Amino acid sequence: MKKGAVILVIVIVAVAGIFLWIKNSYNGLVKSDEAVNAAWSQVENVYQRRLDLIDNLVSTVKGYAEHEQSTLDSVIEARAKANQVRIDPSNLTPEDIARYQEAQGEFGQALSRLMVTYENYPDLKANQNFLELQAELAGTENRIATERRKFNEAARAYNTKVRSFPTNILASMFGFQTKGYFEADAAASTAPKVEF
Amino acid sequence: MKFLSADSMRRFAVSVFLFTIFAVSAFAIPARPSPPRLVNDLAGLFSSDEVMALERALVAFDDSTSNQITVVTVNDLEGYAPAEYGTEIGLSWKVGSEKFDNGIVVLVKPKTSGSPGQVNISVGYGLEGAIPDSYCKRIIETEMIPRFRENDYFGGTAAACIVLMQLASGEISEPRDNSSDNVAGNIAKLVLGILVTLIIFTILFAGRKGNNNNNGKRGGRRTNSGDNDLLKGIIIGSILNSGSNHHHSSGWSSSGGGSFGGFGGFGGFGGGSFGGGGASGSW
Repeated sequence: MKKGAVILVIVIVAVAGIFLWIKNSYNGLVKSDEAVNAAWSQVENVYQRRLDLIDNLVSTVKGYAEHEQSTLDSVIEARAKANQVRIDPSNLTPEDIARYQEAQGEFGQALSRLMVTYENYPDLKANQNFLELQAELAGTENRIATERRKFNEAARAYNTKVRSFPTNILASMFGFQTKGYFEADAAASTAPKVEF
Repeated sequence: MKFLSADSMRRFAVSVFLFTIFAVSAFAIPARPSPPRLVNDLAGLFSSDEVMALERALVAFDDSTSNQITVVTVNDLEGYAPAEYGTEIGLSWKVGSEKFDNGIVVLVKPKTSGSPGQVNISVGYGLEGAIPDSYCKRIIETEMIPRFRENDYFGGTAAACIVLMQLASGEISEPRDNSSDNVAGNIAKLVLGILVTLIIFTILFAGRKGNNNNNGKRGGRRTNSGDNDLLKGIIIGSILNSGSNHHHSSGWSSSGGGSFGGFGGFGGFGGGSFGGGGASGSW
């Protein structure tokens, strides 16, 4: 009888321990997953901000630089492409991120080419609206860099949890998958190199 | 054999040591100041009086509006873009409050014979609406760089802080309720408590006397209103004081003495976050 009671207590303690471990690990995974999602939506926000600057840019530069119509068209085209690339925030696989980064990178490059050509128009360079737009664009590039870094940090924290033992057992049971990162080298090439 | 292994051990220890150093200094921004302060003149551009005056003004502004403006000067940006460096300081020092994300980092790297001068203003999430990037750019171009060109680092920094204060206080103006940190506030509360107790005792005492009931009450009221006037005077004085700071920079070095907000010292950085907003410039 006594022996049975001892075994019962041990079983209860073990079950309670396993339950607590699963609860904490699972909730920890959910928490980091949410952190990654929040970071991702910030990334999307700042990229969207850059896409949105185009309308303002077009209306400002219209009339100053008619000769740059083809460059302007290529930017608008790149924006349309970048707008089409939508990613399911619940997955964020490395392929998804790479695809998104590529589309946004193309737009960034087209934009930087455009901004460089405008350096040739002294009237435009003196235009107050254009100067403010340049400042906004530079700030947006900083925001993109910052939010991408924050996303990578959140994704790294999440991936570490998903892949380390013993949480990885739970992660595979409940279908938590690793997330992709933004690659650093592309960042350097997409940021418009405009000296303000 | 023994000697070799000792040597390799030493080598291993050295490489571990070096690796640790490099790992730690991967992003070598200055450590969060301890004790906390808002003016961190690491490049030694300001005199000690200037540092104190600026610190007092910024602490008073932090106390009265909860917006935290920190000024950092460094001699070397370690190869980073000024915006990146400033944002990183804001993020790792957690400038601004967690509730409002209302921190601002003003970063100045002085011009030297071999390198250009660089300046950056980083704005926390909560103030991006009040201080858009183009405003930061304009502050840098009109207030800071012209003065920096004439080696007037303090004048340029102070002028920028004044404009930033005006812009920021339009957005968030929430007096800081740091009852544990603010010595002056605690003293005021203590004095108020003693006065209130005295008044209650006076009224009770007068009430017992019965005869002089009216007199006693009146006396009590008078003390009460006098106390209010005193408090009002202190508050108005501190507002006027910070107001004079806003208007002419010549008052900076002398204004600190009477500043009510400077009393308690800087309570420390909050939990503010940055998203890369702001602008930078170079000369």
